[in-house]
Amino acid sequence: MKSDKKKNFIDHLAGWISWRRFIFSIVMIFFMVGILFPFYWMISSSFKSFAEIGGREPAYFPEQLRLEGYQELFDPENVYYRDFGQNIVNSIKVSVPTALITVIFSTLGAYAITRLQFKGKNLFLNSILLIYLFPGVLLIIPLFAMLSRLGGMFGFEVQDNLPVLIATYLAQTLPVALYMLTNYFKTIPTEIEQAGLIDGCTHTDVLLKITLPLSIPAIVSVFIYSFMIAWNEFLYAFIFLNSRTQFTIPIAINTIFNDPSPRLNVVMAASTIMTIPVLILYLALQKYIERGIVAGGVKG
Amino acid sequence: MSKKNMKLKRTSKNTPLKKTEARLAYRFIFPTALIVFGLVIFPAVYSIWISFHDVGLKNLNDVYHAPYIGFENYKNVINDFSFKFQDWKNAGAIVTSVVYSLFSTIFTVLLGLIAALLLNRPFKGRGLARSVFLFPYVAPVVSVAFVWRWILDPRQSGVVNDLLMRLNLINTPQAYLSTRGVALLLVILFEAWRYFPFAMLMILARLQAIDDMLYEAAEVDGASGWQKFLYITLPELRYVLGSSFLLRLIWTFNKFDDIFLLTGGGYGTKVLPILTYEFSFKTLNFGKGAAAAMILLVIVAIFMILYSRITSKNED
Repeated sequence: MKSDKKKNFIDHLAGWISWRRFIFSIVMIFFMVGILFPFYWMISSSFKSFAEIGGREPAYFPEQLRLEGYQELFDPENVYYRDFGQNIVNSIKVSVPTALITVIFSTLGAYAITRLQFKGKNLFLNSILLIYLFPGVLLIIPLFAMLSRLGGMFGFEVQDNLPVLIATYLAQTLPVALYMLTNYFKTIPTEIEQAGLIDGCTHTDVLLKITLPLSIPAIVSVFIYSFMIAWNEFLYAFIFLNSRTQFTIPIAINTIFNDPSPRLNVVMAASTIMTIPVLILYLALQKYIERGIVAGGVKG
Repeated sequence: MSKKNMKLKRTSKNTPLKKTEARLAYRFIFPTALIVFGLVIFPAVYSIWISFHDVGLKNLNDVYHAPYIGFENYKNVINDFSFKFQDWKNAGAIVTSVVYSLFSTIFTVLLGLIAALLLNRPFKGRGLARSVFLFPYVAPVVSVAFVWRWILDPRQSGVVNDLLMRLNLINTPQAYLSTRGVALLLVILFEAWRYFPFAMLMILARLQAIDDMLYEAAEVDGASGWQKFLYITLPELRYVLGSSFLLRLIWTFNKFDDIFLLTGGGYGTKVLPILTYEFSFKTLNFGKGAAAAMILLVIVAIFMILYSRITSKNED
């Protein structure tokens, strides 16, 4: 900066600083550090060597980015972590179908609620809303007993069965999705749809050719939201999955962290792998996701 | 629905057509209804039944023939040492649950309010700050819980221990998450850290809907910033504060993963959902677990009624 402008700059700074701004900046820094430090710590720890992470004092700035943690995590020879690749695949195998099925079912449901007349609509809506507030832990015992019996009858295993897990996730995502889409469908003007119906389209045609294309943003946010619920879910996966090859990522991370002597750089590498896609998805579709949270008070 | 039916619909509103429409609607909601009924409502009712029967691992595959034992499970839960209050050192799950969810929710809403007020004023990089503020809420609970455990690590290599020792506040590394009292405080703070963005978004949406005319009128009358906050902003936020408080209170009361991942439910942090899990899947007494879950549900139901009252008032 040029010297003649320097004074101006200090004057400017002095003029800029007021109590309001000072307090604002302090509080802002407090929030920013409090929020970002754990994420910084997770990512930077994942790039440390085991010696660096196990040192006497924490290394706030890693000397260099070391990939040891990641290499160990995906080392096919390592008995503890060798299934992690499979765990990622399992998480995808659970989350993508959950999101897809949620979108399909909730689109149909929301169309019926907003465009069609039928008896019991309010009862249906209210019971869906009630589920929002239901303790997940309450359902585990009866679900476990019920599904074991059904499994005995129809010959499927309840434990280590990813489709069973998807079904339980749908019970969590559908109420949220239905609520979000119903709210969205209400905001779409119905004139075009009615014109379509008069022209002789069936409701199914109207839904597929008019309502659906107009609702792409809402559908994308429902998809992402359901994906994230399934991707992050811990409790049901913890109860229903038993063998390492069937674990989803959260359960895999829980297992390697609760090892008698956990290798924290590996745990943090796994956590980073699990967190980054979610944060990227969120940043890319922030607007829709926030709207969803506000509209539905989306469960978390 | 066929073309012929649609034409009829335009001209007359007779019942068969309404029936066709209703039939289509039922077909559309059927998948959702089946899942919601089969995997939530039926199990919930079934859970009541289980709580009155002796169900353990031995008869899990044949629950239907489990012997009826009346209120025995409930008695066992209420008399259990990990459930009932003895003294503040052994507060029991019910008191721990109430303390935990009440204080977490208060801190959550308070932090959410501060964050919303911060983001409600224009400044450079507001969009970015808003994105960052939501990170704790959208990130997977498993990873954030374990990072916090690593930050609070009992060894000297834990960040908190290192910082406090550098500041000479402590002489030896402390095991924060395995110290009674401290552990409960930390899980409360963790909840607030993780869920304040939710309250923030709800409050922010309401803040932005407040009519600017109100503030302008107040300025004309010579109101200070604090007065404007007290007499305009807060009253306008009353309902959103109340409803996000109760919504979060209910969800926090139901929460299992956060505490389970941070402390495993030990060191004075055993809340009702964790106790339910332990009765069912550690001691394998499913009847007792279901009874504990029913007690949890009764308390949540009270919150739910309060919540529905607040929201229905809000709609008027």
